[in-house]
Amino acid sequence: MLASVASATLLGVEGRPVRVEVHVSKGLPGFTVVGLPDTTCREARDRVRAALMSSHLAWPNARVTVNLAPPGMRKVGAGLDLAIAVALLVASEQLPPTSCEGRAFVGELGLDGSVRAVPGALPLIDALADPEVVVPAGCAVEAQLIGRHVIRPVGRLEDLVSALVGRGPWPDPPEPVVLPPPAPGPDLADVRGQPAARFALEVAAAGGHHLLLVGPPGAGKTMLARRLAGLLPDLNPSQALETTCIHSAAGQPLPPGGLIRRPPLRAPHHGASAVSLVGGGSGSMQPGEVSLAHNGVLFLDEVGEFEPLVLDNLRQPLEEGVIRVARAAAKVTFPARVLLVGAMNPCPCGEGGPPGGCRCSGTARARYARRLSGPLLDRFDLRVEVGRPDVAELLDSSAGEATIEVAARVALARDAAAERNVSANVELPAWRLDDMAPLDRAATRLVERALRAGRLTGRGLGGVRRVARTIADLAGHSGPLGFEHVSTALALRADPLCLDWRVA
Amino acid sequence: MARALGDTPGGGAAASGLPAEAFAAALAGLPGMGPARLSAILRAEPGALAWERIGGGAEWRDAEVSAALGARSDALFARWRRAARQIDPIAVWQTIVDEGIGVAVIGSAAYPPVLAADIEPPGVVFHRGSPDVVAGPRVAVVGTRQCSATGAAIAWELGGNLAAAGVSVVSGLASGIDAAGHRGALAAMGDGAAAPPIGVVGSGLDVVYPRGQAELWRAVASHGVLLSEAPLGARPERWRFPARNRIIAALADLVVVVESHRAGGSMHTVDEADRRGIDVMAVPGSIRAPASAGTNGLLAEGRAPVCCADDVLVALGLRPAGRRPRGETRPRPDAGDVPVLEAVGWQPASLDQIGVRTGHDLAVLAPALDRLCESGWVARRGGWYERVAGGTP
Repeated sequence: MLASVASATLLGVEGRPVRVEVHVSKGLPGFTVVGLPDTTCREARDRVRAALMSSHLAWPNARVTVNLAPPGMRKVGAGLDLAIAVALLVASEQLPPTSCEGRAFVGELGLDGSVRAVPGALPLIDALADPEVVVPAGCAVEAQLIGRHVIRPVGRLEDLVSALVGRGPWPDPPEPVVLPPPAPGPDLADVRGQPAARFALEVAAAGGHHLLLVGPPGAGKTMLARRLAGLLPDLNPSQALETTCIHSAAGQPLPPGGLIRRPPLRAPHHGASAVSLVGGGSGSMQPGEVSLAHNGVLFLDEVGEFEPLVLDNLRQPLEEGVIRVARAAAKVTFPARVLLVGAMNPCPCGEGGPPGGCRCSGTARARYARRLSGPLLDRFDLRVEVGRPDVAELLDSSAGEATIEVAARVALARDAAAERNVSANVELPAWRLDDMAPLDRAATRLVERALRAGRLTGRGLGGVRRVARTIADLAGHSGPLGFEHVSTALALRADPLCLDWRVA
Repeated sequence: MARALGDTPGGGAAASGLPAEAFAAALAGLPGMGPARLSAILRAEPGALAWERIGGGAEWRDAEVSAALGARSDALFARWRRAARQIDPIAVWQTIVDEGIGVAVIGSAAYPPVLAADIEPPGVVFHRGSPDVVAGPRVAVVGTRQCSATGAAIAWELGGNLAAAGVSVVSGLASGIDAAGHRGALAAMGDGAAAPPIGVVGSGLDVVYPRGQAELWRAVASHGVLLSEAPLGARPERWRFPARNRIIAALADLVVVVESHRAGGSMHTVDEADRRGIDVMAVPGSIRAPASAGTNGLLAEGRAPVCCADDVLVALGLRPAGRRPRGETRPRPDAGDVPVLEAVGWQPASLDQIGVRTGHDLAVLAPALDRLCESGWVARRGGWYERVAGGTP
């Protein structure tokens, strides 16, 4: 007997439909899985056998061949267990052939016959065209998010079989969860002083400009950076689904409602490897930190301590918003549109704030500066020196502006950007700058002087104009950019002193 | 000791026509040949004979030379003999002639008298430019490489005013204070009659270090003189800089430290000056500025402060030049920008600090600072702003 059941497997962060075909015939008893299964998938044989027996079902004493179609694509993980079990039951005539028509099955089996949650349920179900999908009860909330399918959550194989033969009812779909408001992150009101850095955060959030914070230890760089995600607007439904898909595929915990509605913040440690940052891996293609931060903030603390080669992997994703990872087994594309925030000390000893402030030698500074390659530094349109706040500021009891107030201005600036058909000003292409960010006469002269003095490169000019546009948007100014906007943009683009090591 | 000419290393008939300077230069290129060893050898024998003896590996019985060479002199001679086989004095001399470099050997007429009288004179002095400029009054203007903009501006001003008053500025051509002092002196030469600068470097005269200073090297050599005791091609090795500092101290009638961290190269120059009984003066700085910690310490020890070039001239026993007020050529800042200028101050200040002092936010500060930078009242480096005195570049 032959049976064919629909399921899906993960490729990177996307689901791919898979047909599980099971053929049961006379012959020497045996069980073969073909169609490029990985080790976990091949081991389905033992899980399925034990699960069937624990559920008082019969294991066919015959020759069983399982084919996972299309056979050329690598299948990963245990998510095909349930489909193999159902196909086997149909092929061995323990279930009617109709039970798998118009129905797909996703889930992992325990030896006791329980149906367990699988990572990436969201992208897996998204890939299925069948009107009805049977999922593990643990994935029910996540599975509902797509909305195209009838979701049948099951907890045990026995319950599934009795529902399929009509002996019992389908288990109830989970109650629609009343979504509590997302827990607020750390508030900007906690930050004392630091007006320039606070404003830089606001501009970064409003325009999506990458931000580099430079300052001595204890100046509050990390504290500031962690408050950036809170300033960003909520994810729109399609962004939320994209981001949730990635987190689901990576097996990351999802919020109670299933859907990630707030921009994520990822802060990998500086010991991170290239693969953990951009994604890949030898067996299954896992998304990296850049993809987990998709539509949110990627915070690289101590950016100077990352391996330079690892950091340079970020150049292409920052430019294109996606990472293409190619391995022998597969090529996958991970989304990676992030707001990058870097924090570093001004020099190896950390105290080299003002000129003449530290004793690091020129070569030591140069070696430190070289860790951040020029092309990567170019991506940071905002570079701010963060000093230790004054004592008076620290003891000042009046709190700074709260996140909610700043976020309101950011939302208005994002609306202004949306009128230009971009989600943030950082996406304005160079050819639209003359239309969207024209400079008035005084501003043109200022830019000209900065270019002549070598303080700005041609590429940096585009960045300054985008930042100036955001600053004008935040101020509610819609005309050509004036002296004050460009001047502020230039003030927020201070080259860290360690990069200016050839002091004459 | 009689030897056939053909036996002399790198010798031959042509070598006999070379001046003693060529052999002295070749000796300076031997490994482990420090200033003390070289001057002891050259004092005992003129260049050609010394080269011949070292090449032959003969023992040196001269008491002064043996003392300079120390206990391991046999090993040293063996090493020198091996190295001497690889060195051809004719080629060495040819390079020196091609580069247009002069060589003064200790004891010769061309050797600067002030160095000949020193306690640790260099055996050979290589010079580019005119060595005669070492005749007039000389003041060393030295300081840290990691200086503030204020420190650089003071060095520039001091160098210029001293040069204009006829005092040669001696310095090490390092980045920071050293370079600023010489740039000031060169600017004063451009403005009219002024004393030529004297640069003392640690590496060979054909090895520019730090590399960015090539233009300054050329300018000092063409307007004054560039000195080094290191042979051509010598890398800027660590030990050469303290040795260079001793020549700076030996050449100067007075040492002025403009900015120095608590420990550093300039403090070594001060020690060398003390060993020679040469007066040291220091420019006072803020007690909060790390780059002034060393100079303030010198003042606390009782050294005389330098607040302007006249303080130095008086200390040298020269007539003070009087304050020459420079015409303020900068456009007056806008009335609205004056409070910002005052808030910037003479120490590097960040945007946040200026914001706290003025109460203005970034949208007001940034344009005001840009206007002040443009008109030359404020200098910006990285995210730091600092007030600039009139007349500095």
